Amino acid sequence: MEFPTQIVGDKGYIRITSDLDTETAGEALRSAFNEVYDQGKRTIVLDLSGAQIINSYGIGKVLMCYKRLKAENGVLMVKPLDGFVKETFELLMLDKLLPVDES
Amino acid sequence: MTVGAHHPTILLVDGNEQSQETFGTFFRGRGWDYEIVPNSRALAGALERGSYDIIIADVEMAGPDTTKTLRDILHKNPYQAIIAVSPSTNYDEALKIFRSGATDLLARPVDFSWLERVIQQVAFSRRNDNRERATYQFVTREEVELRFSSSDLAHLDAISLPIVNRLVAEGALSHNDALKLRLAVQEAVLNGLEHGNLELDSRWKEEFGSDGADKFSSIRRERLADPFYARRYVTVRLCLADNRFEVVVKDQGSGFLNDRGISEQGGVDSLSCSGRGLALMSSAVDEVRFGSNGSEVTMVKWLDAGKTKEAYGS
Repeated sequence: MEFPTQIVGDKGYIRITSDLDTETAGEALRSAFNEVYDQGKRTIVLDLSGAQIINSYGIGKVLMCYKRLKAENGVLMVKPLDGFVKETFELLMLDKLLPVDES
Repeated sequence: MTVGAHHPTILLVDGNEQSQETFGTFFRGRGWDYEIVPNSRALAGALERGSYDIIIADVEMAGPDTTKTLRDILHKNPYQAIIAVSPSTNYDEALKIFRSGATDLLARPVDFSWLERVIQQVAFSRRNDNRERATYQFVTREEVELRFSSSDLAHLDAISLPIVNRLVAEGALSHNDALKLRLAVQEAVLNGLEHGNLELDSRWKEEFGSDGADKFSSIRRERLADPFYARRYVTVRLCLADNRFEVVVKDQGSGFLNDRGISEQGGVDSLSCSGRGLALMSSAVDEVRFGSNGSEVTMVKWLDAGKTKEAYGS
């Protein structure tokens, strides 16, 4: 499983194309993140519109990405969320932590 | 209305020999199975030996007080159908007999065409009651046990909960609630497998090696290859009792609570790499309880009683 990445200006984009609730999906996120991070991008945007479900495992991986960026004054952002994923982010107060990229 | 292929089994309690013969002829003519006893003492003996769809009892049977006898029968079998036969059907007598638990009351001399109708109605009603009770017992107690081992860690997203699936199909549980329940169970199983059975410390997720890999993942790989840890399993018991749905998840570790820094209080630290599973579980169900120092978690979800009944047509 691979999640597609894209570089646009100073931002790196990762499009999550499956539910984020398995080890496989978590590793795919880690791999995609490393790919963008290694290109020097410190503002990375996650597009979670392809995920209907996220569990604690997936959230843990998202937060690992967040911490690596924060350690270098970077920013992890998300595209506008909806459905269960949005509900879960709000429950865990991650919506306060990760700014929304409206572009 | 007909009784159909099922013939009722009847116990007649009547001390009058002529009456016994009349009833016997009537029962035989319809092919119904019957037994006749003369008094309440013999009645007790007959009920010790077997059961009957219908008891037809002369209220003047010899022996202890009739109303007490009827109550004793119903005490032993609350669903027993009893047709009382009385020489008198005045209001007070009828009230007394019905208060004793009789299903119906016939006056002497017995109108046998009426008796046939009553027996058919009672037999029909009893069979429906039995079917309803069987359904009710099915609804009120259904239990399933699932077992997960370390090899299932990669497939936890595919957890299928048999009772939950049926409740959704029958409209007793919404898809959204079912999704949350499934994720809650998934979280509990994951906790049980990783923190319970593999004894992995959540704080290791925050410790990174020179290669960028976290300590948690490294030790996890080691322990998955170690039979001492890997052979342990997690059991999940799903139990539906009326509108109470309970899930008990139990691992074979020494307990993952408190000693490894996970708070039972459910406070969510957004930045922590652990503890969110408990918050997700709490949001999906009405109660979360921990036992055995965390190696057992019980989650309870109360279903809408009306919808549960509707789904089962009861």
